[in-house]
Amino acid sequence: MANDSNSAVVRVEGLRKRYGDLEALRGITFEIKAGEVFGLLGPNGAGKTTTIEILEGLRQRDGGSVTVCGMDPGREQTALKQRIGAQLQATVLPDKIRVEEALTLFASFYRESASIEILLEQFGLAEKRRAFFEKLSGGQKQRLALALAMVNNPELVLLDEPTVGLDAQLRRDIYALIERFRDERRTTLLTTHYIEEAERLCDRVAIIAHGQLIALGTPRELVFHSGKGTRIEVSLAKPVSPDCLKQLDAVTDCREVDGRYFLHAQPAAVAIAALVKFLEAEGNTLLNLHIAQPTLEDVFVEMTGRRMEN
Amino acid sequence: MIPSVRIALLSIKLVMRTKVALFFTFLFPIIFLFVYSGLFARGNPQAVVYFFGPLVTLQIMGSSFWGLGLQSVMQRERGSLRRYRLAPIGPGSMVFSSLLANYLLELPTLALLVFCARVFFHMPLQINPLTLLVLVTVGTFAFAGFGLTIASVANTMQEAQVYNNVVWFTLLFLSGVTVPLPMLPRLIQRFAAFLPATYLVTSFQAIMVGGQSLFEHRAEMLVLLISGTFGLLFAWKLFRWEKEEKISTRAKLVSICFVVPFLIMGFWMNERGNLAAAWEATFSMMSRPPLTAGQPASPAEGVLLNDFENPEEAETLLKTWQVATEVNAPGRSLGEFEVISPGADGTAHALRFKGRVEGAAGSDRGAVTARYPFTLPAGAPSLRGIQFEVRGDTRLFQVKITPADPTLPAPTLTFIPDSRWQIVRLPAAWLATPNPSPHKDTLVLEFRVDGPPGNFTLDIDEIRFY
Repeated sequence: MANDSNSAVVRVEGLRKRYGDLEALRGITFEIKAGEVFGLLGPNGAGKTTTIEILEGLRQRDGGSVTVCGMDPGREQTALKQRIGAQLQATVLPDKIRVEEALTLFASFYRESASIEILLEQFGLAEKRRAFFEKLSGGQKQRLALALAMVNNPELVLLDEPTVGLDAQLRRDIYALIERFRDERRTTLLTTHYIEEAERLCDRVAIIAHGQLIALGTPRELVFHSGKGTRIEVSLAKPVSPDCLKQLDAVTDCREVDGRYFLHAQPAAVAIAALVKFLEAEGNTLLNLHIAQPTLEDVFVEMTGRRMEN
Repeated sequence: MIPSVRIALLSIKLVMRTKVALFFTFLFPIIFLFVYSGLFARGNPQAVVYFFGPLVTLQIMGSSFWGLGLQSVMQRERGSLRRYRLAPIGPGSMVFSSLLANYLLELPTLALLVFCARVFFHMPLQINPLTLLVLVTVGTFAFAGFGLTIASVANTMQEAQVYNNVVWFTLLFLSGVTVPLPMLPRLIQRFAAFLPATYLVTSFQAIMVGGQSLFEHRAEMLVLLISGTFGLLFAWKLFRWEKEEKISTRAKLVSICFVVPFLIMGFWMNERGNLAAAWEATFSMMSRPPLTAGQPASPAEGVLLNDFENPEEAETLLKTWQVATEVNAPGRSLGEFEVISPGADGTAHALRFKGRVEGAAGSDRGAVTARYPFTLPAGAPSLRGIQFEVRGDTRLFQVKITPADPTLPAPTLTFIPDSRWQIVRLPAAWLATPNPSPHKDTLVLEFRVDGPPGNFTLDIDEIRFY
């Protein structure tokens, strides 16, 4: 996929959507550049699916502007669908349709289509080409859904939680397929609530919560700018008040969970020196110490006040 | 190949792979053929023909309401339409593909029904295959529109089933699909005129049993086509890809205009004449062999003249009538017969006796007489007389039936018609007595107009023994 990496394939400005009393999107703004793998990260109900469905032209927005491949998905749905490939959160096909038939049928709807043989090979479905949809495993169904998203050799691929409900091995299989999209410089937007997925696959990530975009950048940038600092996990011989540890030099935060203390510090060396000095003065003993760099999950928790699983 | 054709062909493949769908598409109609032909028609080939139309109508209704309509709702509820929504195809393609698949599945079923009816029940196929195809095509189109309209306005499967059941049972029992229309009470018969299944059933029966032409049922076909078009437009406009999309009450109310063609047709049919007699005529025909040109039906079979639905037969019957003017005023009075349309009681045709009475020399009165000779077949049951329906100019007319035996009385009745169809009965006591050689005896039915000079018109229909 040859794309001009400076041009924005997707441009979203002040996007708003309301379902009755619920304001699902409250003015989201972001851009996706050509060839980029962009992740929309957020818990269930954050507004990820609504956003992607508006980009696909499946839902009408209530406010803001959206441009996908230079077109307004609300007005130029048919022309836009020729150029994008999309995978739904759950793809349902007739039980008795064969894998090959489904690909051939959907490919026939487009002016330009990819080779069915190549798609079957690429998505590991060659052996299942004659299998009915009802006989496919969850992973195979998901791979078929991804293959269907590629039948028109799209400029932009929109994937809505492509690995939800799959076990670890199947998830890794799907990751490999998405990494192939990146290698092909195919612009990809994926929504996920798996941190590892966003960290591993996405060039840039937007974090959404309660219909608002609360962070945007590369995973590294988000972590760097999170201000959380290094995470220090310690176990002590005698319990102490977390508030006392919070007073130490360079410590920005401290929480106690099941007798273990989680400190965030910046810089870490100063905080560790201060901790050792404090323990000596208190007659306490350091039993265990573990140092870790903050993750995207830490950033997410910091920004949303809750973990992804919640 | 356009997307809708591809989707339709795939849908047919999916039906072929699903045992339940196969059963209801092909085997179920055959079971009903045996039920209708065995239980209702008791194996009588003429009766099998009579019930063939209702059977095909039942099949079309079933596939439209429970197949096409409910399938659409089920696909929406299941979420399988969402994937299509991502492709560059619109609601029109989806609706058209459903319609096409339904129609293409209907054709082999029809062929199978005809084949089985002919092989197992020796059903005479008194219909041009092209006419049969047109009837099935129009019926399928109309009921597909009906089924899709229900699918469009129903938000859930449960709702669709409720709507389907209400419509299904109404059509099933009140439109001749199961219970023959002549067996229904008069009030229900009037209501049946508003039901689309009635148009299809009666058209099938009138053409297959009564020997009428498709053209004579153009009004019914037109209404079915209009309603089918309405249905498809609603299905297209109200098409929903996802179960979360709900239809507004306003849209539901708008969709009610789907019934407007049926209302117009119903009122027209009820106004046009006595539906019951037309349906009764077809119903009575299933127990007799088909009429042949030039041979009036025998009284033993209840009808002396049919209602002139077959143009060729009508022409031959016209020639059988002998018109005469008074001998003392030759060439002055005139009389002739012609076939007019529509006839009495919702029939397509009637007979018109018209002309002019001129005064004879030395008199201010003249007369025109029309005679129709016929024979009573052997084994005719006891009859009480002859009856017919008339309308015409308000002047004196006379009807007489003259037996072959000059010693027997010739019953005569004088009547004054008006612009509305009325039944006239002429009792003939000697008809109740078995005739030792009835088939050799010629009877004459005679209509006569006499009186002062002037034009006259007398429309006659539904001439039969009682």
